[in-house]
Amino acid sequence: MQSSATKLVEELGRFGIVEWIDSHTLIVHVDRSKLRDIAKYLHWGIGGYFSVSIGSDERPLDNSFHVYHVFSLDHLGVYVVVDIRVSPGYLHVPSITPIIPGANWHEREVMDYFGIMFDDHPEPKRLILPYNWPKGVYPLRKDYPYNKKVYIEEASDEPEHDSRFAGKYTIIPIGPYHPALHEPEYFELYVDGERIVGARYKGFMVHRGMEKIAESRMTINQIPFLAERICGICGYTHNVAYCQAVENVAGIDVPERAHYIRSIMLEIERIHSHMLWLGIAFHFLGFDTGFMITWRLREKVMDLAEMLTGNRKTYGLNLIGGVRRDIDLSKALKVKKVLRDLRKDYVDYMEKILGLKEIIYRTRGVGVLDYGEARKYSVLGPTARASGIDTDVRKYHPYAAYRHVDFKIPVYKDGDVLSRILVRHEEIIESINIIEQLLDNLPRTPIMAEEIHVPEHRIGVGVTEAPRGEDIHFVITSRDNKIYRWRPRAPSYNNIPALLVMLKDQHLADAPIIIASIDPCFSCTDHVLIIDVRTGSRKQVGLRELSRRGLG
Amino acid sequence: MRERLGLLRRSISVGIVTEKYPYKPIEVPEGFRGKPVIDQDKCLGCGACVNACPPNALSMTDDLDRGVRVIKLFLGRCIFCGRCQDVCPVEAIKLTREFELASINHNDLYQEVALVMAKCMVCGRPYTTIRLVEHVASNLPREQRSHLLLCPDCREKHSSKKVSYARW
Ligand code: SF4
Ligand code: SF4
Repeated sequence: MQSSATKLVEELGRFGIVEWIDSHTLIVHVDRSKLRDIAKYLHWGIGGYFSVSIGSDERPLDNSFHVYHVFSLDHLGVYVVVDIRVSPGYLHVPSITPIIPGANWHEREVMDYFGIMFDDHPEPKRLILPYNWPKGVYPLRKDYPYNKKVYIEEASDEPEHDSRFAGKYTIIPIGPYHPALHEPEYFELYVDGERIVGARYKGFMVHRGMEKIAESRMTINQIPFLAERICGICGYTHNVAYCQAVENVAGIDVPERAHYIRSIMLEIERIHSHMLWLGIAFHFLGFDTGFMITWRLREKVMDLAEMLTGNRKTYGLNLIGGVRRDIDLSKALKVKKVLRDLRKDYVDYMEKILGLKEIIYRTRGVGVLDYGEARKYSVLGPTARASGIDTDVRKYHPYAAYRHVDFKIPVYKDGDVLSRILVRHEEIIESINIIEQLLDNLPRTPIMAEEIHVPEHRIGVGVTEAPRGEDIHFVITSRDNKIYRWRPRAPSYNNIPALLVMLKDQHLADAPIIIASIDPCFSCTDHVLIIDVRTGSRKQVGLRELSRRGLG
Repeated sequence: MRERLGLLRRSISVGIVTEKYPYKPIEVPEGFRGKPVIDQDKCLGCGACVNACPPNALSMTDDLDRGVRVIKLFLGRCIFCGRCQDVCPVEAIKLTREFELASINHNDLYQEVALVMAKCMVCGRPYTTIRLVEHVASNLPREQRSHLLLCPDCREKHSSKKVSYARW
């Protein structure tokens, strides 16, 4: 292991200057001419995968912009940050999207926020900022104050539909907004009869610039609470990833007990998240009994979270250096009892449910993402594991207390909706096992580190396995208890673009379950407006109805 | 078919699981993080909670005309994290188990503590609360207390004068 890491450092030395930034993260400073070679080497050459890109305005520090591409090398347990310095006089970087399609959004985000151009990007359009956002205004640059208002005067000139399909096929827009639900997303399906021929996605309608707020006016120990609010389901994993990023760069010695408590809560979160998802999946399949069953069981897990942290969803448990609440013996025993009963109930129900033929027929061979496509888009988590990619941050980059427990990683090869159901189903049982092992071995240490000193202007990377996949937080520290740059990336960011592959050539009636199968947020899945381009007639139906009767 | 009957049987045996809330109250566990409450009689106006509060639900303003410092909590911004409770030196702010905060009166979401400020012995400017001065004084040996009566600016001048005498 050590020797393979040394070999890696040597290999990467061909591309640029290599440094360790912590015991399992490397940074390579490369010249733009070597960027594509190293990206190809890391993603396609030695079996790593592209994880995230970060733009950063470091003019106040070294008079330049930077673009960082982060790759995970699961087999070595190493993350590699590729750093490209961009001079303010020439804001161009070669795009890596032609090599790794999954980098598409990441580069466009940097384009939007910093005005850095990616040469040869196949789709150099705006991603996050609206089309009518004023030209030349780059909100994440450091000379742009966080509280400066932008007045948008022009109308958006964003093309309404994908010109390759519009006019030829019936357009089915899904979304973009439902007043009762958060996180709107917009899909546009192009259908020929019942068959989906193409799809378009538009998101980021609720992007609120939390990075900017954090960088501008929050302190290092306030950000965990904001991080937790990135997701309305699996927020704690963001909280942990952020804290780990800072702890890694500062070399903080987090006490073991705190690590155990973090892992316990992360697994509780995974169970409730997966159960929520299973319920929704059953609901979209028209199997509401299954929905009721999983949600009823999930409620017991929510109660556990409430007992352990004081809230059923926002645990608010972490500060840099440890956790704020201990788990005492009586609570530990209670958790074990609830989980024991839960496992029995859950396994029994799921055996019956997975024996229902309709569930199998509706999901087998549906929404397939094969291994090759999954690699191209760098999909993560259960979506990746259902397509034959053996990846799991908990196993390959162990954090918190995961190196002390035994657990299996379910991997399925078919890449269909059924595989995604099975992966999550088995993960629920594994999570229960993990929590039991952790509770049995809770070490007797304090729960908060004593010495906390965060060095200035250093890069930290913190990663967790969220219920939806790898969750990565990148920070650059600053002085005065502040963070200079913070870029959280949730797994759906990598998974959603792959939906367009999964939807292709599928039946319209399967669209809701396919979209739901990667476990994105569900606000998108409520409202459908059908426009028949040939007659111009409109009808509105709920996605649920659509999933039952098709377009008929 | 067997699976179906099995599911049906189990569902019937489970019975009704929904609760009659809000017609029947709901119990929340010990340690639940609900509405924070500031104890008017204990608060020193030190501002530690204001600095810790992640969403700026707490604020501190010095009303120099009235000579009071106001600590204000706006529940509309509160995320019930409990950081204020962690950092308060005198346990003046605490989270309760209360969570039903909906109200038709906006004012119900505010709590305010106004504390009389101490005036600097030299320049006369109000610079902190009397309670905070008393609190700090009670923790200091007698001979070190006198400079507490000066505002930070005058204190600095005062001590640098002392230092320069010493050097001289
Ligand atoms: S509970 Fe948290 S958000 Fe609410 S006032 Fe206290 S510190 Fe602020
Ligand atoms: S509540 Fe406590 S922390 Fe806040 S100002 Fe009063 S004494 Fe200070």
